Amino acid sequence: MGSMFRSEEVALVQLFLPTSAAYTCMSQLGELGLVEFRDLNASVSAFQRRFVGDVRRCEELEKTFMFLQEEVRRAGLVLPPPEGRLLAPPPRDLLRIQEETDRLAQELRDVRGNQQSLRAQLHQLQLHSAVLGQGHSLPLAAPHADGLSERSPLLQPPGGPHQDLRVNFVAGAVEPSKAAALERLLWRACRGFLIASFRETEQQLEDPVTGEPATWMTFLISYWGERIGQKIHKITDCFHCHVFPFVEQEEGRLTTLQQLRQQSQELQEVLGETERFLTQVLGRVQRLLPPWQVQIRKMKAVYLALNQCSVSATHKCLIAEGWCATRDLPTLQQVLQDSSSEAGVSAVVHRIPCRDMPPTLIRTNRFTASFQGIVDAYGVGRYQEVNPAPYTIITFPFLFAVMFGDVGHGLLMFLFALAMVLAENQPAVKTAQNEIWQTFFSGRYLLLLMGLFSIYTGFIYNECFSRATTIFSSGWSVAAMATQSDWSDTFLAEHPLLTLDPNVTGVFLGPYPFGIDPVWSLAVNHLSFLNSFKMKMSVILGVTHMTFGVVLGVFNHIHFGQWHRLLLETLPELVFLLGLFGYLVFLVIYKWLCISAASAASAPSILIHFINMFLFSRSPTNRLLFPGQEVVQSVLVVLALAMVPVLLLGTPLFLHWQHRRRSRRPTGRQPDEDKSRILDSSDTSVAGWGSDEEKAGCPGNSEEAEFVLSEVLMHQAIHTIEFCLGCISNTASYLRLWALSLAHAQLSEVLWAMVMRSGLRMGREWGVAPVVLVPVFAAFAVLTVAILLVMEGLSAFLHALRLHWVEFQNKFYSGSGYKLSPFTFTAEEE
Amino acid sequence: MLEGAELYFNVDHGYLEGLVRGCKASLLTQQDYINLVQCETLEDVKIHLQTTDYGNFLANQTNPLTVSKIDTEMRKKLCREFEYFRNHSLEPLSTFFTYMTCSYMIDNVILLMNGALQKKSVKEILVKCHPLGRFTEMEAVNIAETPSDLFNAVLVETPLAPFFQDCMSENTLDELNIELLRNKLYKSYLEAFYKFCKNHGDVTAEIMCPILEFEADRRAFIITLNSFGTELSKDDRETLYPTCGKLYPEGLRLLAQAEDFDQMRRVADHYGVYKPLFEAVGDGNGGKTLEDVFYEREVQMNVLAFNRQFHYGVFYAYTKLKEQEMRNIVWIAECISQRHRTKINSYIPIL
Repeated sequence: MGSMFRSEEVALVQLFLPTSAAYTCMSQLGELGLVEFRDLNASVSAFQRRFVGDVRRCEELEKTFMFLQEEVRRAGLVLPPPEGRLLAPPPRDLLRIQEETDRLAQELRDVRGNQQSLRAQLHQLQLHSAVLGQGHSLPLAAPHADGLSERSPLLQPPGGPHQDLRVNFVAGAVEPSKAAALERLLWRACRGFLIASFRETEQQLEDPVTGEPATWMTFLISYWGERIGQKIHKITDCFHCHVFPFVEQEEGRLTTLQQLRQQSQELQEVLGETERFLTQVLGRVQRLLPPWQVQIRKMKAVYLALNQCSVSATHKCLIAEGWCATRDLPTLQQVLQDSSSEAGVSAVVHRIPCRDMPPTLIRTNRFTASFQGIVDAYGVGRYQEVNPAPYTIITFPFLFAVMFGDVGHGLLMFLFALAMVLAENQPAVKTAQNEIWQTFFSGRYLLLLMGLFSIYTGFIYNECFSRATTIFSSGWSVAAMATQSDWSDTFLAEHPLLTLDPNVTGVFLGPYPFGIDPVWSLAVNHLSFLNSFKMKMSVILGVTHMTFGVVLGVFNHIHFGQWHRLLLETLPELVFLLGLFGYLVFLVIYKWLCISAASAASAPSILIHFINMFLFSRSPTNRLLFPGQEVVQSVLVVLALAMVPVLLLGTPLFLHWQHRRRSRRPTGRQPDEDKSRILDSSDTSVAGWGSDEEKAGCPGNSEEAEFVLSEVLMHQAIHTIEFCLGCISNTASYLRLWALSLAHAQLSEVLWAMVMRSGLRMGREWGVAPVVLVPVFAAFAVLTVAILLVMEGLSAFLHALRLHWVEFQNKFYSGSGYKLSPFTFTAEEE
Repeated sequence: MLEGAELYFNVDHGYLEGLVRGCKASLLTQQDYINLVQCETLEDVKIHLQTTDYGNFLANQTNPLTVSKIDTEMRKKLCREFEYFRNHSLEPLSTFFTYMTCSYMIDNVILLMNGALQKKSVKEILVKCHPLGRFTEMEAVNIAETPSDLFNAVLVETPLAPFFQDCMSENTLDELNIELLRNKLYKSYLEAFYKFCKNHGDVTAEIMCPILEFEADRRAFIITLNSFGTELSKDDRETLYPTCGKLYPEGLRLLAQAEDFDQMRRVADHYGVYKPLFEAVGDGNGGKTLEDVFYEREVQMNVLAFNRQFHYGVFYAYTKLKEQEMRNIVWIAECISQRHRTKINSYIPIL
C-alpha cells in the first residue's frame, strides 16, 4: 500500500542475453511483463533489423490464419477461444506449424475451389434449364419466327445472297440490373434485324459466389443474318451473359431439359459430398487454429522485442535496455538465469545510470484501479511525484455525495454497486462486452463508496427521496410555542403561516443530534436556511481541500530535495490561501459558535466584513465579531499581499544566485562531482526530475546548466498569477457543491410533489389507492432512476471530477510523466 | 452561381472536402520516398508501404509480388476512394466528378478499340483499362466500325456522348483515325470541362481554369511533339488542339506551323509560364524530359489548389496527385525489380 503514495522506484537495466537463449528469455519476460524495452535501433528502419525475417514469416503465417479464419467465419462457425496457458513456441516449432497450416490452407482452398466450380456448374445448368423451360412459352418470338419470317416471308426474297436467310436464335440469361441496358444496346446496334424477348426467371437461383438467392432475366433473341449474329454474340459477351444453345424443335428442347435436370441432380449429390468434406476440414481448422494463433502472435511479439535489442561487438549476445521496477529486479534476475540455464551461458542483468526521466509505475488492485484511473485520465504523474489517488479514494466519493445527498438515492446506488462487487467473479459478468456496462463495472468500487457517502450526506441533509426522516425527536416544540404565545382558534384560522421563535423558552430544546432537524422540511424558509448552510459548507470544504493540496506539495519538495521551494513557494502560498480564505472559514465557524439566536437581530454580516477587509474600511452598522478584528484583518491582508512578490520572485532569484555561485567556482572540481553523481545513481534518479522550471537550472546537470533567468521568471509569473487568481476563482468554483446539491434536492422534491403526492391524493379521493398507485409508482421509480440517479449522478460525477482535476490537483500535481508499459503478452492475448 | 461559396458550400460538400483533405494528408512524404528508394526488393517496398496509409493493401496478393500487382491494387484503392466521394456527392459536384471520369473513359475506349484493331481479346485489354473510367457498355466498343457507329450504338448513353459531335465520320477505324478520334474527343472534353468550371464561377473557376488551361496547352505541345515525322498534316494538327488554353489562339497557330522541337520551344518562349519549363528540359542525355517537366508543373498547381477552400478543385487535384504518386511508386518499383538503380531518383516529388 506504501507504493500508492508515490510511484515505485524504476531503474534502467541492461540485459545481456546470450544469442542462443535470447528467444526463451524474451518469451519468459513476455509472460511475466516486467520490463519496458527501449528501442536501441531507432535509427534502423523496420526492414533492416536482425529478426525481420522471422517477423515476416510470422506475418505470412498470420495471413494464412486470416484466410482460414475467414473461411471458418464464412461457413457460419465460430472459433472457440484457446484453452490453457500457451507459451510462445520454440522457434523450431514455427516450421512445423507453418507446414501444417499451409497443408490445411491448401486442402481448404482445393475443396473450396471444387465446391465453387461445382456450384458454378450447377448454376449454369439451372440457368440453362430455366432458359429452356421458358423458351417454349415465349408467345412472341417462337410463332413469329416460325410462322412469318421463315416459311412465308412478307416479301419474296430477291434471291442472290439472301437466299439462305433464315432465323437464328440466341438464348441466354443476364443479371436483371443489366437487362435494360442490354436490350437498348441490342436495339441500337442491330435494329430491325432481331426480336428479343426478356423475362424473369420464376425461381430464385443461388448465386455461386455469394450464395444469395437472386432472380435472373432470361432472353431469347431471334435474328437474321450472319453479321448481326456476330454482333449479338459480342454484345452478350460484353454484358457477361450466359448464352446457351437453343434447339428450335420443342421436342429437342424437352429432351435437353430432361438431361439437364438429371445432370443437375447428379451434380447436387457430388456437391453434397464435397460440402461434407469441407465441414470436416473446417472442423480440423476450428480445433487447431486458436492455439496456433495465440502462439504465433506471441512469437511475433518476441521477435519484435528482440528487434529492439542491439548486438554486442562479439555477436555472442544481444543487449537489451529497459525500465524495470527495482522491486522486480531479483525476479528478473531469477527468470533470466532459469531460462538461459540450458544455453550454458547465463543471461545477465545490471542497472545502469541514466539521465532520462523513468516511467511511472503505480501498482493497483481492483479497488484502487478506478481511483488511479481518475487521476491518470488527467495526466500520468511524473516519476516519484506525490500520487493524489489515495486521497481521491475518500475525497472523490465525499465531494460527489455532497452534491448527491439523499439516503434513498445513495442506497440504490450502493446496492447496485454491491451487487456488481459480489458478482465480480462470475464469468458472465466479467466477459460482458457491452461498453456501457464495462464502464460501470470497472468503476464498481467507486460507485460503492459514492453510494455509501451519499447515504451519509443524505442523513446530514435529512433527505430520503426528498422526504425528511424523524429518527430522533425534533429539537423544536410547536406545543411550547402555542402555549406560550396563546394562539387562539381564530388566530390560527386567520394566519396560515406561524413563526416558531427560538427565543421563547421551551420552543428550541437544543440541536438535532445528527444532521438537519426534520422540522425544517415543513418550514416555508426551508430553502433559505439550507442555502445559507450549504453555501458556507461548500466554502469550508473547498478551502480545506485546496489547503490540503498545497500541503501535499510539501512532500514533493521534500522528496525531490528542493528545500528552497518549501520556503519560497509553499509557505507564501499557504499564507496567502489561509490568510484570506482560511480567515473567511474562521469567521463562518466563529459566527456559528458565538452568535446565538438571542442576538440574531444584531448579528454581524460576514460578507460585509470580508469586503471591508480588502477595502480597509468599516461600516458603522455592522457589529464587530470579536475585539481587535480590524487589526487582525489588516495584518492578514498586508501579509497575504506581501506574499505575492515573494512567490513571484523568490524561486527565480534563488536559482539565479545558486547558478552564479556555481559558475564562479573553479571548474577543476566539476568533472569529479559529475562522475560521483552519475555513479550515485539512486541520488540522481531522485533529484533529477524536479518541476519543470527546475529543468532550466537543474543543479549538477551539466547539459542543463544553461540557466535562462527570463524563462524561469516567466514560468514563475504564470504560476503566481494562476495561483493567486486561482484561489479566488477556485473558492468560488467550490460553490458548485451547493448549487448541485440544491438542484438535486429540488428536483427530487418536484418529482415527489408532482408524481407521488398527486398519485396518493388521487388514490385517496377516489378510494382506489392501490390501483392508482401501481402506475404512479412505476412512473416515479423510472423517473427516479433515469433522472435522479443516472442523469444527476453523472452531472455530480463530472463536477466532482472537475473539482479534483482543476481545483485540487493544480495545487501540486504536474501529471507530465508517462506510464511504464512493460513488454507483456497479456494484452495480446485478449 | 451566387457569390460567397463559403456561406453554403459546406452544407452540401463540406463532408467530402474534409475527407479529401484528410486523404491528401495521407500522400507519401519526402521521407517515405527516401525510404522507398532504399528498398532492396519489392517485398521491402510492400513492408514500407504498410507503414503508410496504404496499409496492408497488398496483404491478399499471392507471391511473387510484381509491379503490375502493386499498380492494380493501388488503382483499386484510388478507385474505392473516388467511388466513395462520388456516391456521397451532390449536384453540381457529381457532374464535376463525371467530368473527371470522362478522361479515363476516353482512354479506355481508345485502348479497347486499339486492342480490337490488333485482334487482341477483350479480356486481355480490360485488365489494362483504368478502373476509374469503367462503364458497362465499354466492352462492346469493338462492334463498331466507324465513329458514328460507335456513337450510335455504344456511347450515346454515356457521358461521352456530347463530345462526339465533332468527330462523327464514316471513316474506318484504323490506327491513325483512332488516334485522331482520341485527340478530338479529348479536345471537346477539355473544352466542355473548362466551360463547366468557368460557368460554375467562384473559387472553383479560379482554381480549375488555370489547371485545365495548362492541361490543354500541355496536350497541344505533346500533340505537336508527337506529330513530328508523321503523315499528319498541319491543318489536321491544328484541329486537334484544345482551344481553352493560354496558347489559344495565336500560340496554337504558331504551334501548328512548328516543324521541330526548337520551333516549338520558340513558340513557348512567348509565354511566361512555359518559357521556364522548356528551359528546364535537358538535352538528350541526362536532364529531364519535357513530360517530366510538365508533370512537375502539374503537381505544383495541384498542391497549390489545396491552399484555397470551398471549391471542387481539391477533388481533381487529389486524384491527380494520387495518380502521380502511383506513377512514382511504380517507377521506383520498376527500378528496383529491374535493378536499374541509377534512375531511381527521377520520380516527381510531391511537395
